[in-house]
Amino acid sequence: MKNLATFFSIFFINFFIYADQLYTGLDEQQLKRLNHLSDNIRCPKCSYGNISSSNAPISKDLKEEIAQMILAKKTDDEIYDTMSERYGDYILLNDVEKRNPLIFLAPLIALIISILVVTIYTIKKSK
Amino acid sequence: MGGGVYLLSKFLTNDFSFLYVAQNSNVLLPTFYKVSAFWSAHEGSFYLMILLLSFASSVGLYISKDHAFTSYVITSQGIIVFTYLLFMIFVSSPFLRLDFAPANGADLNPLLQDPLLAIHPPIIFSGYVFYAVTFCYVIAGLFSGFSKELFQHLKIWAGISWFTLSFGILLGSIWAYYELGWGGYWFWDPVENISLMPWIAGTALTHSLVYSRDKLLLSWMVFLAILTFLLSVFGSFIVRSGILNSVHSFAADPSRGIFLLSIFALFSLISFALFIKNFTKMESAWPKVGSRNYLVVLNNIVLSGILLVVFIGTLYPILTEVIFRQKLSIGPDYFSQLISPLVLVLIALFTYEQFMSLSVKTIFKLSGLLVVSATVLFIVLPANVYLNLIFSFVFLVVLAIKAIYDFQQRGTLIQPHKVLGHFSVALMTLAIIFNHNFSERVDIRISPGDEIKVMNADIQFESIDIVAEQNFDSVKANFVVNENITLTPEKRIYKVGGQITSETAVNSNIVKDYLIVLGDRFEDGSWSAAFSIKYGILIIWLSAGLLLVSMLYGTIRRA
Amino acid sequence: MKKIIVLLTAVLLIALVWFFALSLNAPKISNVKTQEGKGLPSGFELLKLNGEKVNETELNNGIVLLNVWASWCITCLVEHPFLNELSETYNIDVIGINYKDKLGDAIRYLDKNGDPYIYSIHDYDGKYALKLGVTGAPETFLLIDGEIVKHRVGEVNQQVWDEEFSNFF
Repeated sequence: MKNLATFFSIFFINFFIYADQLYTGLDEQQLKRLNHLSDNIRCPKCSYGNISSSNAPISKDLKEEIAQMILAKKTDDEIYDTMSERYGDYILLNDVEKRNPLIFLAPLIALIISILVVTIYTIKKSK
Repeated sequence: MGGGVYLLSKFLTNDFSFLYVAQNSNVLLPTFYKVSAFWSAHEGSFYLMILLLSFASSVGLYISKDHAFTSYVITSQGIIVFTYLLFMIFVSSPFLRLDFAPANGADLNPLLQDPLLAIHPPIIFSGYVFYAVTFCYVIAGLFSGFSKELFQHLKIWAGISWFTLSFGILLGSIWAYYELGWGGYWFWDPVENISLMPWIAGTALTHSLVYSRDKLLLSWMVFLAILTFLLSVFGSFIVRSGILNSVHSFAADPSRGIFLLSIFALFSLISFALFIKNFTKMESAWPKVGSRNYLVVLNNIVLSGILLVVFIGTLYPILTEVIFRQKLSIGPDYFSQLISPLVLVLIALFTYEQFMSLSVKTIFKLSGLLVVSATVLFIVLPANVYLNLIFSFVFLVVLAIKAIYDFQQRGTLIQPHKVLGHFSVALMTLAIIFNHNFSERVDIRISPGDEIKVMNADIQFESIDIVAEQNFDSVKANFVVNENITLTPEKRIYKVGGQITSETAVNSNIVKDYLIVLGDRFEDGSWSAAFSIKYGILIIWLSAGLLLVSMLYGTIRRA
Repeated sequence: MKKIIVLLTAVLLIALVWFFALSLNAPKISNVKTQEGKGLPSGFELLKLNGEKVNETELNNGIVLLNVWASWCITCLVEHPFLNELSETYNIDVIGINYKDKLGDAIRYLDKNGDPYIYSIHDYDGKYALKLGVTGAPETFLLIDGEIVKHRVGEVNQQVWDEEFSNFF
């Protein structure tokens, strides 16, 4: 068990403030937030893909702006709001689930119901 | 066939009097890509699909010469080919001529100028085509009844279809990872999802078919075969009608959309009518609760659940756009959060299957042990490790131990393809979750000659080279990571269209990959670059390969 | 039971096909929303290409036509003759926003292709345009008393002008 723990922990990355980072001044936690936020904001100019994976200039500008907002102590929600206020809901990649839980629940409910129905049917049939 | 060779010859001889050749090829293009330009756009790729279908039918005909069902198979294949030919002739002809032949063509999209992506579409199309052939056998069965021989043919075609389609998808993923340069291999892009839906239905079908010795749940399998085919027809409608905007979709043309939608409606109508009319021919035994067959039923339900997730996640944004005039996006989070637990349920099912012969008491003890060890791991490990990761790891270990134990007991494995297939699914799941959990990236700014340390890696930026190639110019940056790994990301400017593309540099080993994507040059001579560490990529490819092999073996061993 | 399933499948299929027939004909919505109804971003010290300060109250009064351009942008070059025509023939005041450009390149571009702008704001790092909601060049904004009433993403030509802008003048 101990070995396993070390096996996992060697993959741990220790963050510190990098001098050579493109978006300067962010600490470990803030950099993680920047990555998370830019993973979940769509590039407004591209046909698909989020701003962290796109090479479009606008994506870099937005990432820089988000970095600035993080430094200005804005919360994640405030940053998402600023972005959707400017570009529309389309660019938020993780917003639908929050606003429409049915989208999340529908497949799960369908799954549970069908498992129940099939099991009951099978039990009846085998009697 | 002759038409295909003819069109190909026009590409090779740069005959730009053909609109399609002029749009998708260029004098400077290397010969290999002139060939692949054939299927790089809508018209050619559709034509290729028709050619493949006719070819597959002839081969199938040759193999299954004189059975009761043969004539039905030929007829249904004929109807499909005929319908698609009508479509091609009326709205999608690759043979349109231009009045004045331009001196040069518009060039092939640079993103598509890659050997993997050149061969990826025909393989994917073959996969769909083979499932269409499988579908034809099922339709034949609805007329002539499901004889043993027909069932045998079905199994083999379904196995080959699954192998081909999965192989095509795998190639696409590998291409995305190495070429698109974002360190991802699956983006949950709508077009990818559309192509995934027939694959999921096809997986459920092929898995059940290859597994079953008796005609278990025949009606369900027939339904799945119909569903797989219809989903692929549906997919070609969605992708080719311009409803979606995606990097993969073809140029939009409304008349094509209406035509393809009608084809989808027609095929659905015919196949469901036949299905319902001949329902009595498909009567078969129903499994008992807790039996192996019952587990297959559960497996099918969970796979259908995954299909439903992909279906909803892909079509909901279209729904809101059309009905509520509201644009929104469903991102990767939706799919991964819903699908990963479902995949774990699948793994749990087949892990349990390995221990079914044991007594209920032992199974209880073992599962207790499993929960305890997972809990202990969860407590011992650092807090930000997903629970999913731990479970997939534990299942993998259990499967491996059981396989080794059985092998030692008996000196051989019963159904090695099953053991290997299930093991590789567990391994792939572990690798994917691991990759998702631990991979990191950072944007850096670095000048040639500098050395920096990020994410426990040393990055040395040695120099910049400018290189001229046949159809593009490129800027190559030479990086050395950890003193011995050389990475040379590139930026290319294509001579004809002027498009700029970025070539990612990747170094892989069995545990982790280093990736560098070159960004822009700043005025002080420094460059921005994205540096990432990705874990377990090779394991993902490897386990996918193992899975393909196991399914292939499972298919041919009883052929 | 069987009848219900048949009916249900039929209804689902018809709904699906009907829905997609509908979606084929539905007018396309742009992915990213335009900036209509909003105002100009504040808190910027804007400079013209000649180094003078921009009077922001001027931008927020009356009818103002803003055009985002850059010397590196190919579509802008295509659009440029129409802008020249606007200022010469129609006598319409256009204010340029020079987007992510080097000063020298921008001035050379205007010398070569003509200058349709009464002046251009030099947005060197693109920060002002970013806050304004610009995703690339060219884009055109029409403001009335500080409120954006039209936002065109992409080229403005005679047809676009006639359909979307001309009735404001």
